[in-house]
Amino acid sequence: MNKRALLVATIVFVMFFVVFLRLIDLMLLDHEKLSRIARIQQTKGQEILVRRGTIYDRNGRELAINLERPSLYCDPKIITSPQKVAYSLGRVLKKRHRLILKNLKADRRFVWLARKVKPEVAEAVQRLKIEGLGFLPDTKRFYPKGTLAAHVLGFVDIDNRGLEGVEHTYEKYLVADGGRVYLTRDARGNILYRGGDYESVGDSIVLTIDEGLQAIVEEELDRALKKWQAEAITAIMMDPYTGEILALANRPTFDPNRPGRFRPSYRRNRAITDLYEPGSTFKIVMAAAALEERVAGLNSRFDCSEGVIEVGGKKIRDSHKHGVLTLKEIIQKSSNVGAVKVALKLGPERFFRYVELFGFGRKTGIDLTGESPGIVKPPREWSGTTQGAMAIGYEVMVTPLQILRAYAAVANGGYLVRPHIVSAVLSPEGLIIKKVNSTDKEKILSSRTVKLLKEAFKAVVSEDGTAAQATVPGNTVAGKTGTTRLIDPKTGRYSYKDFVSSFVGMVPADNPAFVMIVVIWKPKHKYYGGEVAAPVFSDIARKALAYRYIPREDILKKNILVVSRGIKNNISAVEVE
Amino acid sequence: MKRLDNILEFKHFDWLTFTLPVVMTVLGIMTIYSATRPLFDTPHPPYYIRQTVWLLLGIMAMFLTASFDYKRLIRYAYPIYAVGLILLGITIVLGHTGMGAQRWLRIGPISFQPSEFFKVALIIVVARFLSASKSPLNISGILVSIGLFGILPFILLYKQPDLGTGLLMLIIVTIMMLCKGIPRRIVVIATVLLIVSLPVTGNLFWKGLKDYQKNRLVAFIDPKVDPRGIGYQIEQSKVTIGSGEFFGKGYLKGTQGPLRFLPEKHTDFIFSVFAEEWGFLGSFLLLSLYAVLIIRGFETAYYSKDDFGTLLSIGISIMFLLYVTINVGMTMGLMPVVGIPLPFFSYGGTALLTNFICIGLLINVRRHRFSLFY
Repeated sequence: MNKRALLVATIVFVMFFVVFLRLIDLMLLDHEKLSRIARIQQTKGQEILVRRGTIYDRNGRELAINLERPSLYCDPKIITSPQKVAYSLGRVLKKRHRLILKNLKADRRFVWLARKVKPEVAEAVQRLKIEGLGFLPDTKRFYPKGTLAAHVLGFVDIDNRGLEGVEHTYEKYLVADGGRVYLTRDARGNILYRGGDYESVGDSIVLTIDEGLQAIVEEELDRALKKWQAEAITAIMMDPYTGEILALANRPTFDPNRPGRFRPSYRRNRAITDLYEPGSTFKIVMAAAALEERVAGLNSRFDCSEGVIEVGGKKIRDSHKHGVLTLKEIIQKSSNVGAVKVALKLGPERFFRYVELFGFGRKTGIDLTGESPGIVKPPREWSGTTQGAMAIGYEVMVTPLQILRAYAAVANGGYLVRPHIVSAVLSPEGLIIKKVNSTDKEKILSSRTVKLLKEAFKAVVSEDGTAAQATVPGNTVAGKTGTTRLIDPKTGRYSYKDFVSSFVGMVPADNPAFVMIVVIWKPKHKYYGGEVAAPVFSDIARKALAYRYIPREDILKKNILVVSRGIKNNISAVEVE
Repeated sequence: MKRLDNILEFKHFDWLTFTLPVVMTVLGIMTIYSATRPLFDTPHPPYYIRQTVWLLLGIMAMFLTASFDYKRLIRYAYPIYAVGLILLGITIVLGHTGMGAQRWLRIGPISFQPSEFFKVALIIVVARFLSASKSPLNISGILVSIGLFGILPFILLYKQPDLGTGLLMLIIVTIMMLCKGIPRRIVVIATVLLIVSLPVTGNLFWKGLKDYQKNRLVAFIDPKVDPRGIGYQIEQSKVTIGSGEFFGKGYLKGTQGPLRFLPEKHTDFIFSVFAEEWGFLGSFLLLSLYAVLIIRGFETAYYSKDDFGTLLSIGISIMFLLYVTINVGMTMGLMPVVGIPLPFFSYGGTALLTNFICIGLLINVRRHRFSLFY
C-alpha cells in the first residue's frame, strides 16, 4: 500500500507540475507577447473628427464656419439586397442608383456612399433602417457671406484641408492635432465609448479685414467692372501704420463654398500674384530718391518742353508738351520726360537703391498664398533703355500690394510696413494664442522727404493734377495715377488698346485713415488711371470714411456738426464664447 | 452504542474536504460574475445568482450523502447504475441540444445533464463490483468490468455526443481496476494489443468523430491553422491567461471575457478569466487548493476501513484530478478542447451538485473509518 501511495502522489505531483510549468510559460515568459495581442484586438483606432477653427473679421464677425454634415458609409458585406438598397438610397440621396450600386457591391468593408449630406437627408436615410449603413460625423466648411473676401479666405477640399488663402496659410492653427484615439472594442467590433465625442477643435483666426469695408470695396469693384467692362480689377485697402489689410478684393471672383465651379483664373488672388508694369505710380521711387539724395528739390526745374526724350535709342514721350516743370509738377502732371530726366540725374546705382528700399523685387511677406516677388533687374543687367523705362514704371514688374506698400511709407512718415491679413489667433476657448506683430517696420525715408512727397501727391489730386476725380468731399486725398500699355501677346509689342489703369492714394492726406490701390486691367472706352481708377478710389473712400466715422477735415472750416456714434477702430481680438 | 457512534462520526467530519470545495465555488461564483459583466447598460446575466443557488443545493446534497453510512450504497449500487444508464439512453432519444450536442434533459423548468449524475453512479458501481471481487482480478472480472462499466457507458456517452466524459469515464474505470489489481501479464497483453490495433481503432475512432471534434483536435495540434475559427478558442484562452502576469489585473479588471473575445468564458474557460484577474499568484494558489483536495481524497482512500470505501475515494479523487488537469491544460493549450468543466468553478448546476455529492461521499468514507459496526 505504501508503494501505491507513493505512485499516486508522484502521478498527482507530475500532472500538477506540468500545469505549473505551462502557467509560468504563459503568464510570466509569454506575458508581453500575449498581452500585446490582447491590447491590439481590444482597441480600435478612430480618426478624431477635426473641426477647423472659425475665421472672424476684425470685429468678430464670422467669415468661415463649420456645418454638421455627416458622411454616409456602408459595409458591403452586410448589405443583403444591394439592388433594393440602391434604389431606395438613390431616391433619398438624389443620386443615380447605378453609382450607389457599384459602391454597395465593392469588395471592401468600408465604402463612402455620400460625403457631407444635409441633416434632413441623413435623417431620411436613417428612417430607411438599412443594415450595414452608418454615418460618421463630419463637417463642411461654410462661408456664410458667400463670395465676400473669397480671395482672402481661400477654400478647403472635401477633407477640410485648406488649399488657398488664410485657410491654407493658417492651416496649422485652424486644424488642431488630429490623429487617432484608441477606443476599447469588443470581439464583435462594437466600440465602447467612454463618454463624449472624440473631436478636436482648431484655433480661430481673427483677420485684419473689416467686413464692412470689404463689402464697400467689393460693391464698388462690381460696379466698376460693369462700367469699364474690364477684364479684371483689384483693390487693396491697408492701414498704413500697421500694415493691416482692411480690405482686399479681386474681380472676377468665386464662391469659396463651391470653388470647383470656377475657373482657376477666377480664384487667383491678383492683388498679390499678378504682375504688371506699374507705370507712373512707380515714379514715387524717382521722386523719393531725388528728394532724399537732395539731387533735386520740389521746386527744381526740368525742361520738358520738347515732350519727348530719347534714352538708349528709344523715345519716351509725354501725353502732351508741358514746358518747363518743377519736380512737383512732374509728379502732378505725370510727366514722363521730367521723370526720366530726374532719374538720369540720379544715375542707375542711386536710383536702383531706392527701388530696393521700397521692397520691389521682394515678397512683402503677407500671410497669404501665392505671393509673387515681382521682377526687378539689377543695374548690371540693364539695357540702354532700362534706366529711362524704369523711371516711368516700365521694364519692372510689381504686384498691386507692393505699390500700395510704397505709398504707405509716405502715409505713415517713412516706414516700410509688413502687410498682413491676420491680427490674432484664438484658442477654442477664446484666449489669444498669438498676436501678429504690427510694429515690424523699417524706416526708409526721412520725414522731410515724406513731407515733400505728400505735398506732391496732394497736388496730383487737384484740378491741375491727373487725378482730379479721386477727390473725396470734405477730405484731401494724396495719390498717384498710373496708366500702362499691356504687351500684346500676338505681336510681343506694347498694345495700343489694352491698358492697365491704376490709382494709389491715401485719405485724409495729412492723417491717413488708410491707403488704397485700385488696379483695373483692360478697361474699355477709357484708359487713363485718372479717369478710370481714380473715380473708383473716390467712391470707395467716401463710403469707407463714413463707415469708419472719420470726421471730414473741413468740419472746423465749415462748422459741420458731428455727432459721434462711437469709435469703431482697431479691435484686434474678439471674445468668443 | 448508536449515540457513541454518532459522536465519533461527528468528531471525524472532514472539515478540510468540506471547506476547500466551498471556497473554490465561492471564488468560481465571483469569477462567473466578473466574466459575465455586461458591456453596455444591459442587466447582468443571472448566472452568478443561479450558481449560488446551486451551491446551496450542493451543500445540502453533500450533507445528505455524508450523513448515512456509505456501506448502504453497496446494496443500491446496481439499481443506481441502472437508473444512470436509462437516463443516458433517454437523453440520446429526447435530449435537448446545446452546443452541438444533446446533453441536457429537461424536466419541467429544470434542465440537467444526466451524464454528470452518471459519473457518480458509475464510480459507485465500479467500487461495488471491484470490492466484491478477488484481488487480483480474474479474466471474467476484467471483461465484465471493462464491458459493463467501460465500453457500454462509453458508447452511450459517445452517442450524446460527449466524447470527453466518455473517455474520462473509461480511464477512471481502468485506473480503479488497476488499483484493485490486475495480473501483470494481462496488463502487458492488453497494452500490446492496444498498440498493435492502434492504426485500425485509431482510424475507426477518427472516422467516428463529428466535424467539430475533429476541428478541436486539429486546432490543438496547430492553433494557428485558422486563428479566427478552429484555433480561436485556444488562442484567445492563452491570450487571456498571458494577460495576467504575476499579480493579475485585479478582480473585475479582466477584459477578455466581458469584451467577448474569450468564448465559454464562464463555463469551460473560466480558469482563463480567473488567471487574467488574479495572476500567476492567484492561479498557483487555486491549483494548490485543488492539489490539496485531491491528495486529501487519496488519503481518505488510504485510511478507508474497507475496499469499497477505498475504491470509491480513489474513483472520485482520480475524477477530480483528471477534470482539473485536463480543464486547466485545455485552457493553456496543453490538451485538446474536450468540453470538460473545472470542478466547483465552471458555471453549471448539475456538475456542481454532482461534485458536492462526491465530496459528501469522501467525507462519508473518512468519518466512518473508525466505526466498527457494520
